[in-house]
Amino acid sequence: MAVTGETFLALLPELVATGFLILVLMVGVFAERNMGLVAGLAALGSLAVFGSAAGLLATGFSGSFFGGGFVVDGFALYFKLIVAGSAFFAVLAAARWSGYTGDAGEYLTLILSVVLGSMLLVSMRDLFGLFLAIELATIPSYAMVAFDRSRRESAEGGMKYLITGVIASSVLLYGIVLIYGVSGSAALADVAEAFGSDLSTVAVIGLVLLLSGFAFKVSAAPFHFWTPDAYQGAPTSAAAFLSVAPKAAFFAVLLRVLLEGMPEAAPTWTAVMAFLSILTMFVGNLFALRQRNVRRMLAYSSVAHSGYILAAFAALQGQAIPTAIEAVLIYSAAYAVMNLGAFLVIDLVGEDAKSFNGLIRTSPGVALSMLVFMASLVGIPPLSGFFGKLWIIIAGAQSGSVAVYVVVGALVINSVLSVPYYFGIVRNMLFEEPAGPVPAKGDSGAVRFSVYALAVATALFGLLIIPLSALVQGSGLL
Amino acid sequence: MITTVTIVIPLLGAILMLLLSDEARLVRYAALGVAAVPLLLATYVYFAFGGNLDAAALSQDVTWIESLNVGYRVGLDGLGFGMFFLTTLLTLIAVVASWDVRENLKQYFAILFVAELGMLGVFAAQDLILFYVFFEITLIPMYLLVGIWGDENRRQAAIRFFVYTFLGSTVMLAGFLAFGILAGSYSMDALSTGGGLSRAAQIAVAAPILFGLLVKVPAVPLHGWLLAVYVSSPTSTNVVLSGILPKLGTYGLIRIAIPLLPEGVEPFLPYIAALGVVNILYGSFVAFLQPDLKALVAYSSIGTLGFILLGAASGNAVGLNGAVFQQVSHGLYSALLFILVGVISVRTGTRRISELGGLAGRMPWAGGLLALGALAAMGLPGLAVFVSEFMSIMGGYEAFPVQGVLAAFGIVLSAMYLLYMLARVIFGPIERPAYEVSADAGPVEMAAVVPLAVLLLMLGIFPALLVSVQRPAVEAVLSALGGS
Repeated sequence: MAVTGETFLALLPELVATGFLILVLMVGVFAERNMGLVAGLAALGSLAVFGSAAGLLATGFSGSFFGGGFVVDGFALYFKLIVAGSAFFAVLAAARWSGYTGDAGEYLTLILSVVLGSMLLVSMRDLFGLFLAIELATIPSYAMVAFDRSRRESAEGGMKYLITGVIASSVLLYGIVLIYGVSGSAALADVAEAFGSDLSTVAVIGLVLLLSGFAFKVSAAPFHFWTPDAYQGAPTSAAAFLSVAPKAAFFAVLLRVLLEGMPEAAPTWTAVMAFLSILTMFVGNLFALRQRNVRRMLAYSSVAHSGYILAAFAALQGQAIPTAIEAVLIYSAAYAVMNLGAFLVIDLVGEDAKSFNGLIRTSPGVALSMLVFMASLVGIPPLSGFFGKLWIIIAGAQSGSVAVYVVVGALVINSVLSVPYYFGIVRNMLFEEPAGPVPAKGDSGAVRFSVYALAVATALFGLLIIPLSALVQGSGLL
Repeated sequence: MITTVTIVIPLLGAILMLLLSDEARLVRYAALGVAAVPLLLATYVYFAFGGNLDAAALSQDVTWIESLNVGYRVGLDGLGFGMFFLTTLLTLIAVVASWDVRENLKQYFAILFVAELGMLGVFAAQDLILFYVFFEITLIPMYLLVGIWGDENRRQAAIRFFVYTFLGSTVMLAGFLAFGILAGSYSMDALSTGGGLSRAAQIAVAAPILFGLLVKVPAVPLHGWLLAVYVSSPTSTNVVLSGILPKLGTYGLIRIAIPLLPEGVEPFLPYIAALGVVNILYGSFVAFLQPDLKALVAYSSIGTLGFILLGAASGNAVGLNGAVFQQVSHGLYSALLFILVGVISVRTGTRRISELGGLAGRMPWAGGLLALGALAAMGLPGLAVFVSEFMSIMGGYEAFPVQGVLAAFGIVLSAMYLLYMLARVIFGPIERPAYEVSADAGPVEMAAVVPLAVLLLMLGIFPALLVSVQRPAVEAVLSALGGS
């Protein structure tokens, strides 16, 4: 396991991220006045990370490094693109906000370290490396949530997130240790040999603890309760970013662990996933229906969408496996564009549902973009959310399992169930009288640009699907 | 290629609209220009390819989502061409008839063009998923057109429209997906005559598809969203809403449900014919009771949609030809009537039938054309609706005698309420409270209405203009039915 030039190439996105992370931190310290420079560097950094991951993907680079613990394949690079792309938009929004408070350097550094952790995470083929990457992605995110010192909720949300996050990590670690104990190795290939079709009690406990830890991290019910408080308290850019990028990475690595590490145990974990999926969808949607605060509503909506993605995990059986993997990949990208967009609109407009009143008249461009995001979250074609759900439904139908049919049925019911709260916002924007003065445009140019760009990406997702599904087919998970 | 260009132009037009400055004249002329292009292209297609819509120049087949075997497959055939043409025409007319839209004019046109994109796509799609995507593209624009520019009841109307039709189309999608997964493809060509599904599977797939389509029409027990939406909409939205939107449902029935799932729909056909008759009779009875001219036209429109269902369900050449034809003639006459109701209510300040009267003297042009539209609606020979209703009834009678007879009775009913309305509104005395008519229909209004009246007459006298185009496609449907 000599470190060669190829090893550096494999780590290129991570190295670029680390370089910019240090640069942003240093410039933030030494050029404290020049927040524009710091923000520009952070945005440039996320673009550079995106570019290096895209370059690796374009050249078809793949391989296994560090004794097989770190893998670069199409699957991992795809998720690195999602992480880096959403980081770019989050940085644009974060720069504006943290410019006010004067801590752009620290806040943007935190974002870049979450990027670094999430990117390492999707490449991990070793359970302990995986745990370290998870911690690298989540520890900065506690600080991000608590970063808004002017609001009490931020500290409260950060504290809740920290405590539940630490518990989740220990549960996860305990699960990893038990799995290690059963298989004698933390490498996924060795785990796969130990996890045969009949599992020992210890193996089942290890699996369940591992899944519970992940359920915390992706805010699946019944481990979702930190989500609304954390997202409501967090600065909007943090909520936007954390609900999209690390979450996509968690789903990706969970997919890798389950498919590469315990394919024989699929009947056990697909059953757990089916249960979690149905519970999560209903909990997310039913609670979202009751929210008046748009940010809290989107937090519950993100719980519901985790449930939808988990439905694809439940469908990972039989001939449906390739489609179900594609479903996770496509849903993650689809969710990233629409949910980031929706959160950034909140950043522009405000988090009270009333602040959306009459937006179509005061700010038609933003209102139409929000309409696109809301319709996409419902799953109306040709917007991105539709394609995500389409893949999940098709994967479910191919799986040939009655339990998965039930899950898919629940997904369809939940899509209709979610119409009232998403379109409640639309109704306010279209039919209510404008509440107050027009929100000042001010320095929101970059956020507006992000909102429009994400709205276009959401609306034209049907065209993006062609290159995406080509990428997805090239990804080497199986 | 021409088809794709025709579909895409409205999208470019929508973007253009948003980039224009706010000056109303400029926006209106630009919208006219944008709307004219698809119409010219469709006219060109009619004259150049009318006898041969299968021509390769009109169709395209590009793999879209490879792993699911979904394609961007478009093309024109006789079943859809009439509506494809009518969509381009009615969008242009909707732009002309947009005099009651004053706020946010360019956004109005942009949204209207997005709706046009969806409607054109539906009538050209040759792939189930693509059909569904286009079908749903119309949903949000129509919701916005009604919800933003409608009258004071628009809010509830828009939400109802959305919830009903979204629910219907979600159920329809479930049917499409089941069909595609069982048959292994979403291409309509590959799926013809059942795509190899057993009879039981076809029935299971057909049921949700039919439900979704019938909500869109709407067939009578599923029509809860209709009245509020029609009455609340601005005139130019009415043109599209009544002229084209219901046909997304009936076209799906004729193009997808019947030829692709012949054995699956077969047990449902008598009920679809019966629903058609229910539409005809219910629409006529309720239209009788309407005090409001616009509501009367709305129910008359529901009623005459029933003939499409009846003809389509008949499964014979006469009936199917009648159904396909009736889609077009219904669009022509209902758009005509809605525009005239708009003109009259603007000029007189009322839509209540009891308050109107004597339009023959005061607004001879508008009144005369209203009479023409009403005569068309009751199926007067010489006008297009007569041809198609007559064919639908003949075909329906042949297949289902009871339904056929009842449908013919519906024509009598519609004559009764329409003649009553005409007697009152056009020739009746002016009673309480007397109103002032500001002027007869002006040149803009006439420009919106006259082409419709001319087409109603032309197609009434020379039905072969349209029948010749649709006949080969109807024969293909019949062979699909016969082959099962």
